[in-house]
Amino acid sequence: MDLILQLLANGISNGSQYALLGIGFGLIFGTTGIVHFAYGPVFAASAYVMWWLIAALGLPFPVAVVLGMAFAAGFGVLAYLVIYEPLVERGSPSFVVLVASLGLFIVIANTLAIVFGTDAKTLPDFSYGIYFLGDVVVTGVQIAQVLVFMAVALALSAFLKYGTWGSAIRAVTDNVDMARIVGIDTRKVAIVVFAIGSMISAIAAANLLVREGASTHIGFFAVFYAFIAVVVGGVGSIRGAAIGGLLLGLVESTGMWKLPTEWQSTIAFLVLFVVMLWRPTGLLRGN
Amino acid sequence: MDYFYHVLVMFCLYAILATSFNVVIGLAGLFALSHAAFYAIGAYTTAILTTAYGVPVFVAMAIGVVLTAAVGAVAALPALRVGGHYLVVVTLALQVIVIDILRNAQGLTGGPDGISGIPRIVLFGQSLSTPGSFLVLAAIVATAIYFALRLLAVSPFGRALRAMRENELAVQSVGKNVVALKLIAFALSAGTAAIAGSLLAHYIAFVSPQSFSIDETILVLAMIILGGTGNLFGAVVGAFILVLLPEILKFLDLPVGTADLMRNAFYGLMLIVILRFRPEGLFPERYRYTLPAEAEQAAGAFQLTPLANFENGAVTLAGENLHKNFGGIVAANGIDIELRAGLVTGLIGPNGAGKTTAFNLLTGFLTPTSGTITLRGRPITDRRPHRIVHSGVARSFQDLKLFRRMSVLDNVLVAFPNQFGDKLHNVYFRPGAVAAQERANIARALEILEFVGLRERASQEADGLSYAEEKLLVIARLLATEAEVLLLDEPLSGLDPNTLARVLPIVRRLAAQGRTVCLIEHNLDVIREVCDVAAYLDGGRVLTIGRPEELMKDPQLLERYIQ
Amino acid sequence: MSRRIFLASALAAGLIGPVLPAHAQQPDVYRIGAILSMSGSAPHYGTVMSRGALIAIDEINAAGGVDGTKLELAIEDHKSGNTQAAVAGMNRLITVAQSPAVMSSFSGPTVAIAPISKEKEVFVINGGGVSLRMIGVSPYMFHNRSLATDLAAAAVHRAQARGFKRIAQIAGKSEFGDSVIAASYEVAKKLGLEIVAAEQFATDATNIDTQVAKLRASRPDVVLNWPTTPQAGLVVKRVREMGMSQPVISMEWTGEDTKIAGVANSNGVEVATDYFSPTADNAMGQRFYNEYKQRHGEDPDFYAANYYEGVHVIAELIRRAKIKGGNYWNGARLTEALWEDPSFASVYGGKMTFQKNGVALKRVAILEVADGQLKLKEFMAARTE
Repeated sequence: MDLILQLLANGISNGSQYALLGIGFGLIFGTTGIVHFAYGPVFAASAYVMWWLIAALGLPFPVAVVLGMAFAAGFGVLAYLVIYEPLVERGSPSFVVLVASLGLFIVIANTLAIVFGTDAKTLPDFSYGIYFLGDVVVTGVQIAQVLVFMAVALALSAFLKYGTWGSAIRAVTDNVDMARIVGIDTRKVAIVVFAIGSMISAIAAANLLVREGASTHIGFFAVFYAFIAVVVGGVGSIRGAAIGGLLLGLVESTGMWKLPTEWQSTIAFLVLFVVMLWRPTGLLRGN
Repeated sequence: MDYFYHVLVMFCLYAILATSFNVVIGLAGLFALSHAAFYAIGAYTTAILTTAYGVPVFVAMAIGVVLTAAVGAVAALPALRVGGHYLVVVTLALQVIVIDILRNAQGLTGGPDGISGIPRIVLFGQSLSTPGSFLVLAAIVATAIYFALRLLAVSPFGRALRAMRENELAVQSVGKNVVALKLIAFALSAGTAAIAGSLLAHYIAFVSPQSFSIDETILVLAMIILGGTGNLFGAVVGAFILVLLPEILKFLDLPVGTADLMRNAFYGLMLIVILRFRPEGLFPERYRYTLPAEAEQAAGAFQLTPLANFENGAVTLAGENLHKNFGGIVAANGIDIELRAGLVTGLIGPNGAGKTTAFNLLTGFLTPTSGTITLRGRPITDRRPHRIVHSGVARSFQDLKLFRRMSVLDNVLVAFPNQFGDKLHNVYFRPGAVAAQERANIARALEILEFVGLRERASQEADGLSYAEEKLLVIARLLATEAEVLLLDEPLSGLDPNTLARVLPIVRRLAAQGRTVCLIEHNLDVIREVCDVAAYLDGGRVLTIGRPEELMKDPQLLERYIQ
Repeated sequence: MSRRIFLASALAAGLIGPVLPAHAQQPDVYRIGAILSMSGSAPHYGTVMSRGALIAIDEINAAGGVDGTKLELAIEDHKSGNTQAAVAGMNRLITVAQSPAVMSSFSGPTVAIAPISKEKEVFVINGGGVSLRMIGVSPYMFHNRSLATDLAAAAVHRAQARGFKRIAQIAGKSEFGDSVIAASYEVAKKLGLEIVAAEQFATDATNIDTQVAKLRASRPDVVLNWPTTPQAGLVVKRVREMGMSQPVISMEWTGEDTKIAGVANSNGVEVATDYFSPTADNAMGQRFYNEYKQRHGEDPDFYAANYYEGVHVIAELIRRAKIKGGNYWNGARLTEALWEDPSFASVYGGKMTFQKNGVALKRVAILEVADGQLKLKEFMAARTE
């Protein structure tokens, strides 16, 4: 019984991280229709930048996170303007955009290794303490992860509901053509969502940095899990991405209750496979 | 020299992978990212059979190909349900699952360690253990596969695949079985990838899960995109470039330690730059082509195929008490309709009245919640759309659903019934019969195009047509189905008087030759001119049916309709 | 071979070399190949291994090369384990660099190039991969890293010596992890210890919470920590964070692991490994340590050391083969030279001896991590179970 509770706790914590990644990715994907595979390397790059700001320049952690978010926003927008926009404008099919972002993925992952070296980047002895709930252990980082996710998710939905750009973003997500007809500048909306989505990835990167540090290949898992969270939840729905991410974390963790743990990712993907066959457009309404 | 030969061997293997992947991605338009998994299953099957069970090499390879084709067909199941990005994710998941199983099913696959000591291929008493000797085999196999798949791509089967890529509903409306097309495309593509896999296993004499990761799928995908989706030659060129590029980059003198990282980064950059400036790939698919001269001459005047026994005015297609609910919405609420041979029936009614729903129900695109549909008295209620087309009922769509990235001629050709070349075994085992029929079909297609006034456009891309021409092409495509019952969804709306004057006689002529015609139309003048019978629909049912003139005297109807 | 002899022979080579006429089979330069993990998901291995090898090459060249002929390193990339890339690299080394002596790494790539090694008579020395599958696949293939199974056996013996009964083990899902887990089961059974948990995770995973939760639930006396760098550090970090205070015995521990686990968490971790420590009685190790530290500003790990050692083994073999004359610059002659006397100076101190199966036997040491440093507790005799 202890084990399943512990696995549940871990699942919620990890699921929060996936969900966080998912809502950032889902915002970009749902609004622009671009499979932003370079979301992963942007995530990785901002983790490295934050590490560098802290370890080399000695900046305090919150300052580094804010700067890291700004960096990610700039990077994401740049990727959109330089690579995606020209392709989308030429009417390229979406998988050309997908391969282009895979190209970007390769460039960034390798450049990180060249610039920062191939060793792992960690913050020395950054600790949040350990808490016991009965026999279940949770670390401060795990709790922080859940809280950060909830805060970001709430802030994002408030922004989409009340913010200046919120209604425009929702309109574009619903129907691009209609949005264009009613005079919404879809280009600006795309830029805004790339900025916000990338910033969310940087927050997730900060989580990872304190959890286990950054290494060059972290980007792939980030974008893969984010993608899955979004698709399982239903494209175009922030709540769907959040639920998808949490579910992924829970399945991956509790699914191992009675199974050998090397089957962890297999189980997660098997569930994904079944969910997709059962509900092809995701758990919540997808478009 | 071995190094050079090795690079060429890898080029041959990737060429096989890229061309076979292009069948699914480029021709069928199914964005399924699990090709490396098939590559792996092919490699592992032959590896396991030859090392653990002592099965002879070629037998093991053949079993691997068949097994992988079967797995490929299973992998097609999601593609029957989902498309687009969803299919991407589901197939990526499949890829991960397969590699996980290879990694974890220790007893069978050797786990992460892989399987070593795979025997070499022995041909004519010679063991193909060196890159040079293996290259000969790899090149022969790759060439054979290239031409085999090319034959498929230009065959009626390949045409049907491309039509499915362009529009899945429309391809059913011309009588193609989408499920079969998808299953065969997947199985064929997977089986061919397995050939590459089994060659790799016997070439390197070792397989391990690392060799078949998602990266491999992505690499092959990049080859296709780079070369040109839908163009098999492009895929080969893409494979050539992406196999050679990293090797050429190795000759760059770079600082030790970061050299390979720089090469990889440069490789990614090249990929972006090429796509940025040539997103359609180096060799884009060609949609137009020059017609063979004999086809041009063969074309005569179009004659409808005479119907064997038709009785003017006899009921052909009938729907009785058809209901259709979507959740809470009632789209059809007891439609009763009878269509008669030799007559043109017009459906009128306000938007949302259930006219298109009636078409969808009658042609199998929707299954009625209750009610029966009969064709000449025989029930066809549960038949799938392509089977209904085979029975002689064809329809068009209000939004046309042309096969845009195909030539005008191909749009018509794809619709002919009973094509030998729709069956893959005929493509390979009866090529003569397929070619002969194809010549006849081209001639007939040209006649049809002449008849509707699109003869000049035959070899052009359908995407470049004007709106009126598009509508004419829809009619041409419908004529090609040789169906006896034709349902046309707003074939006349938005047409200029000239085109209208061309189309109306066609409709009348179809009826005169015994076809059953039903069309949806809003313009009452047109209805009066072309229809023998008109049915007024509203609220998901037929309210009145009768001769157009009579119908239009009904003041109640006039009031409801015109307001 | 001691340092003195090495220097003497290098000196002799420097004096005699230039006056000898160029021999027909005498290459201008000895190109040594290396197939390493220079990119992909684990590029750090490639970084440190190539550094180790280059230090040895520079050191030998600075002393005049091998009998006056310089060494050169040609590096190929297997992208963290891709077998096709390894085979391509091997073919390039044979065709372009024309190198009959190659250093390989990782088990998969090493097994993949074995048939080529056998066919083309290429001498291969692997200092990274640990899988049993690399044994007996090519007569020209050698390993200067102890087999993981031998090290695992030592760790289980250590656990028994410390009086533990319930053992939990955790490993990556790789050939390494698999063979180690299997070996520990065997040894534990022999010694009457109970394995209460054996968890595995994807080799490139950064999230191992589930595995650690299951370790914790099994309530072991000791955790045997099999992953390599940097996941060895990750396991310790998670184990401690999850409130497990049980002792941990690792098989591998580098500065990278201390960095990830944190200094506090790393304290007290025991490491059962073939022992690399630049102590006073180990001149070769010290020379290497100092040079590495000076060049790269950090401590070398044993991977770097193994490839440093590998170059020295090859250099020694060239020297031995050349004395016998004839066409000596090929894998068969180098292998022949190795079997003449399979004992070589080890950067770990003392000698290492290649056994019949091609694996060098080094002594196993039990180390303890204290404030980020590895302290020697005791040596254990190398044993092959």
